[in-house]
Amino acid sequence: MMRVLAFPLIVAMLSLLAVNARAELLIQITEGRTDAVPISVVPFAGAGDVPENVSDIVRADLHRSGQFKTLSPKDMLSRPTSKEGLSYRDFRVLNQEYVVIGTIKPTGTGAYEVGYSLHDVARGKELLSETYRPPESQLRDVAHAISDRIYEQLTGIPGAFSTKILYVTHNRGAERPYQLQYADADGARVKTILRSREPIMSPSWSPDGTKIAYVSFEQNGLPKIYVHDLGSAERRVVAQFKGINGAPAWSPDGQKLALTLSKGGNPDIYSLNLNNGDLEQLTDHYGIDTEPRWMPDGDHVVFTSSRSGGPQIYQLNVDDKSVRRVSFEGAYNARPEVTPDGRYLVYVHRRNGSFNVGVQDLQRGTFDIVTQTNMDESPSVAPNGSMIIYGTQHRGTGVLQAVSIDGRVKVELPSKEGEVREPAWSPFL
Amino acid sequence: MRSFINPLFAVLLAGLLAACSSTPTEEDTSATDTQPTDSQSSPAEPVERPAPSKPDTSNIPVTADNFHNHPSNYDGTTDTKVIYFAFDSNTVPAAAFETLRAHASYLKDNPNAKVRLEGHADERGTREYNVALSERRSEAVQKFLRVQGVSSSQVEVVAYGEEKPAAFGHSEMDWAKNRRVVLNYTAGRP
Repeated sequence: MMRVLAFPLIVAMLSLLAVNARAELLIQITEGRTDAVPISVVPFAGAGDVPENVSDIVRADLHRSGQFKTLSPKDMLSRPTSKEGLSYRDFRVLNQEYVVIGTIKPTGTGAYEVGYSLHDVARGKELLSETYRPPESQLRDVAHAISDRIYEQLTGIPGAFSTKILYVTHNRGAERPYQLQYADADGARVKTILRSREPIMSPSWSPDGTKIAYVSFEQNGLPKIYVHDLGSAERRVVAQFKGINGAPAWSPDGQKLALTLSKGGNPDIYSLNLNNGDLEQLTDHYGIDTEPRWMPDGDHVVFTSSRSGGPQIYQLNVDDKSVRRVSFEGAYNARPEVTPDGRYLVYVHRRNGSFNVGVQDLQRGTFDIVTQTNMDESPSVAPNGSMIIYGTQHRGTGVLQAVSIDGRVKVELPSKEGEVREPAWSPFL
Repeated sequence: MRSFINPLFAVLLAGLLAACSSTPTEEDTSATDTQPTDSQSSPAEPVERPAPSKPDTSNIPVTADNFHNHPSNYDGTTDTKVIYFAFDSNTVPAAAFETLRAHASYLKDNPNAKVRLEGHADERGTREYNVALSERRSEAVQKFLRVQGVSSSQVEVVAYGEEKPAAFGHSEMDWAKNRRVVLNYTAGRP
């Protein structure tokens, strides 16, 4: 009896894997910095028998950041795997500034020892040397951790390669066309959180990265806000009022959700205390108020409001409820995001009928458009503040793209199947 | 032949233009005038008397700009269940008045009937802001029905924004088809 039951289960699991593999995001860099730093990641010794190619993942991570220009292994004059075998000259000749070498060996019981070192070619000096002992399932995590360490050593900014991207897919024609998924920041290891016949919107991470909030219309076609624990897969409805229940955004301390409710007759911003369910109304205006985001100080919320006509960005003081306008360029500015340091606002700006992502420097007061595609929306900032991921259209299909905060690096993340949208970059995990 | 203009066409065209020009933008957040009056539906005096009920509208070209107010989209009965809107607008188009009055009569005659007004936006602009805009469209239709005497307990409003498009392309005409309110009867469907 067990055998009979087990077969369809395995088939179901395999088909799930197949779907995930097809939906996997492909990441390719379309525009890098001209001053990108040349670095060689030499294929690690012993990698042939290992299920994940750790050095390939590290090389791809560094390349994708746009900060580095990686050398293809076939162009290397030598491929050292130990410090003793490293000839700096072979890399100096190729104008390489840094070189990474390493080894992987199985330690039995399905685990591995991964050792690597980072070297400064010009000075002939070792900068980093570390060893990890992951189980097989964590080889990719170790690869991203190595990328993070190298990135931080060389740029002074923590790497964000070990983070995740949460997003919504729409596959028209599927029985449950709307899916909420997340993947590694490089697009690998896609996991499906929710499949639904009805729309899923506005996914948002808790600051500790253990939970997410989102809007789902799954029950009777009506919008409800859910808080979903990624570890236990348990979830609960936290808002199901009459009218709009939308745009959830976690406060920096993780205790509250800012959200949009229209139960009072028109869309206003509210703050929901997740511990005791207390609901506080933050804005009260007959215009549209929506798309709230907390400033890192937890005392201010930026949001989109139509109170002056078209949508503009406003900042609210949570304490005294005072509101001031912060965007002034153009007739359409909406869906603000804040960089982790609170210095930049990132939002959607309409210009000549085209929707692009703009960055406003709150210190210097400047505003720059950083994307050149059209229909750009839902910008989300990496936790190290380096990159913005956003949704756009490519050949009529929703895709994700990423751009550095200064607009100099562009990365494409085309999906092989269906629409991908509303990316939300996780905090550091 | 060159300068011949069908008088009926001229009357309908005038109506369309008047409806368009009086359309406030959605960015104007003050309540829009959705209460139908007779003067609104016939802004021009007909030169010749048009056919009383079902005019021939086949020679008015359908464009993305006039789609929401095109008579061919509304048959004046409860068979029509989609109301279209102009860009950035939540004004109920004049061409839909008769259809909405039919729904109002039906709802008044059938107190057990319930309708859900599902508001939609085109894909331009941000998603949650579009949810808010589409709610305003649903509310405009709700207000129309309420003015006609429909009980509030029979009407429910849902806003889907751009999440459930009817047309999946990205042209002006696709967008015109997506800016809509669907009258979805959840009980006592006519």
